[in-house]
Amino acid sequence: MTKLTWDNAVLLSPATAQRLGLENQARVNLALRGRSVEASVWILPGQPDDSATINLGWGRWRSGRAANGAGFNAYKLRQSDSFWSDQGLDIKKIDRDFPLATTEMHQAMEGRDLVMEGTLSDFQSDPGFIKKKSKQPAAELSLYPDWKYDGHAWGMSIDLTRCVNCNACVIACQSENNIPAVGKEQVLARRTMHWLRIDTYYEGDRANPRAFFQPVPCMQCENAPCELVCPVQATNHSSDGLNDMVYNRCVGTRYCSNNCPYKVRRFNFLLFEDWVTESIKLQRNPDVTVRSRGVMEKCTYCVQRIREAEINAQVEDRALREGDIKTACQQSCPTEAIIFGDINEKGSRVARLKAQQLNYALLAELNTRPRTTYLAELRNPNPELQKDGAE
Amino acid sequence: MILEHRQRESSRPLPAMQATRVIGPGESFRSVTEQISSIVLTRKTPFVWYLIFAISLLAVGMFLLSVSYLFYRGVGIFGIQIPVAWGFAITNFVWWIGIGHAGTLISAILLLLNQGWRNSINRFAEAMTIFAVMCAGLFPIFHLGRPWIFYWLVPYPNTMHVQPQFRSPLVWDVFAVSTYAIVSLLFWYLGMVPDLATFRDRAQRKWVRKFYGVLALGWRGASRHWRWHQKASLILAGLATPLVLSVHTVVSFDFTIAIVPGWHSTIFPPYFVAGAIYSGFAMVLILAIPLRSIYGLQNLVTERHLNNCGRLMLTTGLILAYTYAIEPFTAWYSGDTFEMYVVHNRAFGPYAWAYWTTLSCNVFIPQLLWFKSFRVHPKRLFFIAVVVLYGMWIERYMIIVSSLHRDFLTSSWANFVATVWDNAVLFGSIGLFVACFLLFVRFLPMMSIYEVRELLPFSRPGGGTVK
Amino acid sequence: MSAWPMYGIVAEFDDPTVLVEAARAVKSRGYRRFEAYSPYPLEELNQIVPGIDPVPLLVLGGGFTGAIVAFGMQCYIAIVDYPINVGGRPLYSWPAFIPITFELTILFAACTAFLSVFWLAGLPLLHHPVFSLADFARTTQDRFFLCIESRDIKFSPEPTTEFLRSLNPLSVYEVNDE
Repeated sequence: MTKLTWDNAVLLSPATAQRLGLENQARVNLALRGRSVEASVWILPGQPDDSATINLGWGRWRSGRAANGAGFNAYKLRQSDSFWSDQGLDIKKIDRDFPLATTEMHQAMEGRDLVMEGTLSDFQSDPGFIKKKSKQPAAELSLYPDWKYDGHAWGMSIDLTRCVNCNACVIACQSENNIPAVGKEQVLARRTMHWLRIDTYYEGDRANPRAFFQPVPCMQCENAPCELVCPVQATNHSSDGLNDMVYNRCVGTRYCSNNCPYKVRRFNFLLFEDWVTESIKLQRNPDVTVRSRGVMEKCTYCVQRIREAEINAQVEDRALREGDIKTACQQSCPTEAIIFGDINEKGSRVARLKAQQLNYALLAELNTRPRTTYLAELRNPNPELQKDGAE
Repeated sequence: MILEHRQRESSRPLPAMQATRVIGPGESFRSVTEQISSIVLTRKTPFVWYLIFAISLLAVGMFLLSVSYLFYRGVGIFGIQIPVAWGFAITNFVWWIGIGHAGTLISAILLLLNQGWRNSINRFAEAMTIFAVMCAGLFPIFHLGRPWIFYWLVPYPNTMHVQPQFRSPLVWDVFAVSTYAIVSLLFWYLGMVPDLATFRDRAQRKWVRKFYGVLALGWRGASRHWRWHQKASLILAGLATPLVLSVHTVVSFDFTIAIVPGWHSTIFPPYFVAGAIYSGFAMVLILAIPLRSIYGLQNLVTERHLNNCGRLMLTTGLILAYTYAIEPFTAWYSGDTFEMYVVHNRAFGPYAWAYWTTLSCNVFIPQLLWFKSFRVHPKRLFFIAVVVLYGMWIERYMIIVSSLHRDFLTSSWANFVATVWDNAVLFGSIGLFVACFLLFVRFLPMMSIYEVRELLPFSRPGGGTVK
Repeated sequence: MSAWPMYGIVAEFDDPTVLVEAARAVKSRGYRRFEAYSPYPLEELNQIVPGIDPVPLLVLGGGFTGAIVAFGMQCYIAIVDYPINVGGRPLYSWPAFIPITFELTILFAACTAFLSVFWLAGLPLLHHPVFSLADFARTTQDRFFLCIESRDIKFSPEPTTEFLRSLNPLSVYEVNDE
């Protein structure tokens, strides 16, 4: 929920932080029954008032260069008679600068229809209510004829109702695609490299908000705005509709990123990839290019898996079957929220999901025609619980 | 062999030396030639020249150092990130190229409009254009992730069989900027050839004569040569006029072709062209005002020149003010929530300071130019020019950063913070520009001598001058 | 007399009005191969000194060449050489090809204009007979010269010199083709 990296924090509710006169990222001294530790404050909407949540397992000093010095050691506050919770925490502000690195700076939707949602009863009364909200322009408005995709046409469907924000897909993507991990300094500079991220939004009262999760990989737009502005054809469409990125052609103008409304493109601002450490060499996926400095990169729908499956099918002299190809994120998703497949194949899982009434494209009004679409989030709130909460 | 030589006074009395509107009274062919060429050939270089040159060389050193570090470490030493993937480099590019535009305006458009007063300021305005375009041209290369392969944006036969993507405005930029640089250089040099011949013929030392002799290409002032020269100059002016408008239009396409709210707007081409000329005139004044006092050229760059430049700044500034005003309107009229948010965010968001600085520097303060006392007073005019130049830089910064930092998905919103390297390269490029310009003033004719001769009251057969 | 063949007879003036009048007189005398030299362009001479002005036509040709080269190159590259699906746009995206076509039209035309001046004028040139005249250096400063060349069929040294002397010059020189 916090989108914090490289540090743990003392999570406080907005009201508590205000009462204690603490701002986000304020450095504080925590004292509990005679023991104390320094930590940073992170204000978390939805955290119960007058309570603090602290993560264990940080502040290590002998676990290699990645973990050393990250966060603070909360075990110092833990005592054998109160393993998981205790009372009487004393928080004192100290004047020292210690920023926390988060991958998402802004967690309100500002009234934009990014995560579309509704209740079960909304859906029952009008199954097409999501379609009505969507602002997809009519196809005949385009001056240009559509590009035809006769063979396979890869697509993805992400069910927002199923997503539980476990981040397994993000990690799977990172390991599958040799994505470099960037340090705290670069996260603070807004240079995270995740090809797939989960956008977390809050809506409603800050004391008791509703949270939304939206995994955002590359949308593989058919009318890709990024491709149009690349001066060297480093990004263009394959015959099966993938938005390909040609790393060794990229000169790094970053114009594609500017023109990407979903901001899913990632750039090697510095030499982020570790080319030296031996153990990391062995850890890499040999099917995926290791990108160097000055090159744009992004989600490829695990194109290496697609091509491998195609070759295998050809060797076995058969057509591709449903399930031959699973993207890394799909494979790791515990709730099967992410489904990938051929949208040209009638009856494929992804084609059936996209035919659903809840299917919508993110920022459809831009007419980018994304291949990745979402199924709107449906909730079935319990009216009994509803009374206590704000919504 | 001399067949006859009569030393005598001029057979006809010259027309009375009435004060002309453009240059001061009492000048003759000889005096203007002497005055302009002596700056290079005989006069002692002023101390101020050495002082400013030394300072600018320091800045050039800083520039080289930071660019070396940039190439060594990568473009990540700048403050850019995702979502603000363009920062100072592109701001500097647009700023510099805009400054160049006034030079072409003075030399081409005012030539076509038969504005004789331009003759004494066109040469150094053109030089300003060339050095500004040179500085501008460096930045798109510096901002690349892999600058060593910038030439991939140019079509050429290659073993990879891959060519540029001609739908990208960046490729248009390559063509527009390089065409602009080449045409400006040709125009500048074509106009300079007769004056280089003057230098050749006035030079005292042999190697100096040879140096200018080579540059003058054997020019001898024959009437047929003049005829072609003048026709070509006129044609080049005719070509440079749409070119200069197209260059900043293409630069604005870098933004308008994108779908980013705050960029995607049809007002941008005229908006950018007006802003370019605006900032360019500011730079012309920043250069002209010290030059005329250091070299005592008040009789050639007169109050009238200052006044006219001030008026042109006021005009282009008002066009700019109109586009600032129309932007919120189009955003509102489009009904697009993203566009409306950008307008609101510019005025009241994290970069509100840039928006209000832009408005103050480019719209409010230059209104002083309505008063003649500000237009003809060198120091006041200089102050306004500096303010405008600063404001125009901030304007481009505002357009780029405040549009990018909050676009469609709120999850990717983030603020841009410039690093020390961003500033080092910007100020270094200013040093480079100043150093180049000082070398130009020292070694080349900074005013068009032959065109100043045309301004003299008796330059036309039967008396009179050009308009 | 010098061992070198004669290039022509030169008269020196210090006033544009006198020069133009003199040039007019030379022309009406029937001379065809003569040239005026001045420190700045004198449009009046264009009607008097014989010569052609092909610059505009050459530039037009250059401009057309630029336009055709630019548009042809873009179409060839985008449609024939490397047809590629870029953001779902058609291969023949002619509106996107206009800016470069425009720029190259200007570039080719401007280069033609520049080069044609020097090509027509035969420049760069290391030496020219008139430079042997010591005072000729002032043609780029404040003096005006008129030269009747020896190639002219009406040219003969004595009468031509006499004629030039009658045109109110500062001085008259004989120039040899060194």
